[in-house]
Amino acid sequence: MKNLIVAILVLFSFTVNAQVTKVSLQASGLTCSMCSNAINKSLKSLDFVDKIDANIKNSTFDISFKPNTTIDLDKLKKKVEDAGFFVANLTATINFDNVAIANDTHVTVGNDVFHFLNVKGQTLSGSKTIRLLDKGFVSAKEFKKNSSLTKMDCYKTGEENGRRIFHVTI
Amino acid sequence: MKFFLYAATFLLIGSAKGQELFVYTEPASNMAAKSIGIRAKSTFQKSELSGENVYGLNPEIMWGASKNIMVHADAFFSNKENKFTATGGSFYMKYRFFSVDEVHSHFRMAAFGRYSFSNNSITEYATDLFGNNTGYEAGLVGTKLINKLALSASGSVFHALDNGNQKFLYKSRRNGINYTLSAGKLMLPKEYTSYKQTNVNLMLEFLGQTNLGDGASYIDVAPSVQFIFNSRVRIDLGYRYPIVTNLQRDIAKGALLRLEYNFFNAF
Repeated sequence: MKNLIVAILVLFSFTVNAQVTKVSLQASGLTCSMCSNAINKSLKSLDFVDKIDANIKNSTFDISFKPNTTIDLDKLKKKVEDAGFFVANLTATINFDNVAIANDTHVTVGNDVFHFLNVKGQTLSGSKTIRLLDKGFVSAKEFKKNSSLTKMDCYKTGEENGRRIFHVTI
Repeated sequence: MKFFLYAATFLLIGSAKGQELFVYTEPASNMAAKSIGIRAKSTFQKSELSGENVYGLNPEIMWGASKNIMVHADAFFSNKENKFTATGGSFYMKYRFFSVDEVHSHFRMAAFGRYSFSNNSITEYATDLFGNNTGYEAGLVGTKLINKLALSASGSVFHALDNGNQKFLYKSRRNGINYTLSAGKLMLPKEYTSYKQTNVNLMLEFLGQTNLGDGASYIDVAPSVQFIFNSRVRIDLGYRYPIVTNLQRDIAKGALLRLEYNFFNAF
C-alpha cells in the first residue's frame, strides 16, 4: 500500500506546469515578401498569437503569445501550410519547473507529452529552448534520418493511443 | 461596433496569398487557403485581318478553396468589330498534388482544367480559350523556385467547340496542345528589410500551340515586368508577339496591363 502511494506521488510529480514563452519558426518554399506576408497574416489569425517579428530574408518568424492562452504548435504548422508553404524548423522556448527528462522517454509537462530524443538524462529548470522533430516540422530528409533515434511507433505518427506526442530535442 | 471591428480586421489582414508569379501563365503554386484575389486585365491588340485596334477587358476572381485547390472565374469583354460587348467567360481549377520545399526553394506540380465559352466571331485557326473560343483544356504544370529565380513549364490538351452559331474554322481538327515555358526573376529589392518595399520581377515567357489535326503551330514570346506594392497590390505590364507561326492567327500581338488585389477571407 505504501509503495502504491509513493508510486502515485512520483507519477504526479512529473505532471508540472509548462509555459511556452516564444516560438521561432522557419518556413520553406519561398523567397519573396508577398509570400512571407501570406504566412505572417496566416499565423496572426490564430487567437493565441500576440506579435510576429518576421525576417523576410531568412524566412523566419519569431512569435510571441498572449498571456493565459493555450499555445498549439500543430496549429502554427497548419497555418504555414494553409498559406501554401511548409515548416523547415521550429524551436519553442519553455519555462520548465524542475522536470526530469531521460533519452527516448515520454514525459508529461502540463497538458503536453514530450518524447525527448538525442538528449542526456537531466533535470530541466528555468527557460529552455527545444526543437521539434515531428513530421512536418523538419525537412522530409531530416525526419527520415532521425528515425534511427528511437524504435517507438509514436515517432512516425506523432501520436500514441490517440494522444499527441511531441518529439523534441534540446 | 462588432461589425466595424470585423470589417477593420478583414481589411487589415489583407493579403495572405501564395506565390503567383507569372503574367501569361499560372504556376504550380497555390494561393493561401481561404484567400480571394481579384484581377482586371486589359489587352491592347491589333487585328491582322481587319487592321482594327482591339481592346479586351478580363475581370477575374480567384479563390483559394484549400491549400491545394484554387478556382478562377473569368468574364471577357471586347470591342472587336467596333462594339464593346461581353464575349464569354471561363472557369479554371488547379490542384497542387506535389510539393517539395526547402528554405528559399521548391519544386511543385499541379494539374489544371479549364472550360471556356465564347460568342465571339471566329476569325482565326488558332484556339484561344481566353476569350475567343469555346472549349475545354486539361494539363499539368511544374514550377521550380531557386532563390530569386522561378522556372515553370506546362503542357495541356484542348478541344475546341463551336461558338454557338459560329463554327470553329478548323472543322474536324478541334484537338490541339498548348505548351509554355516561363522564367521569372526577382530584381528588386536587393535585400529584404520590410513588407513595404516595392518588389520588381522580370519575366520571359514562351507560349506555344500545335493543332493535332495537321501539326500547324505557333510560338509566341512574352516579356513582362511586375510591380508588387506593400506586399498586397500587383501591377503587370507585358507585351506578347509571335516569333514562329504557320497556324493562321488574327489577334496575336499586343500589350497587356493587369491589376491584382488580394484579400484574406475568414470564411
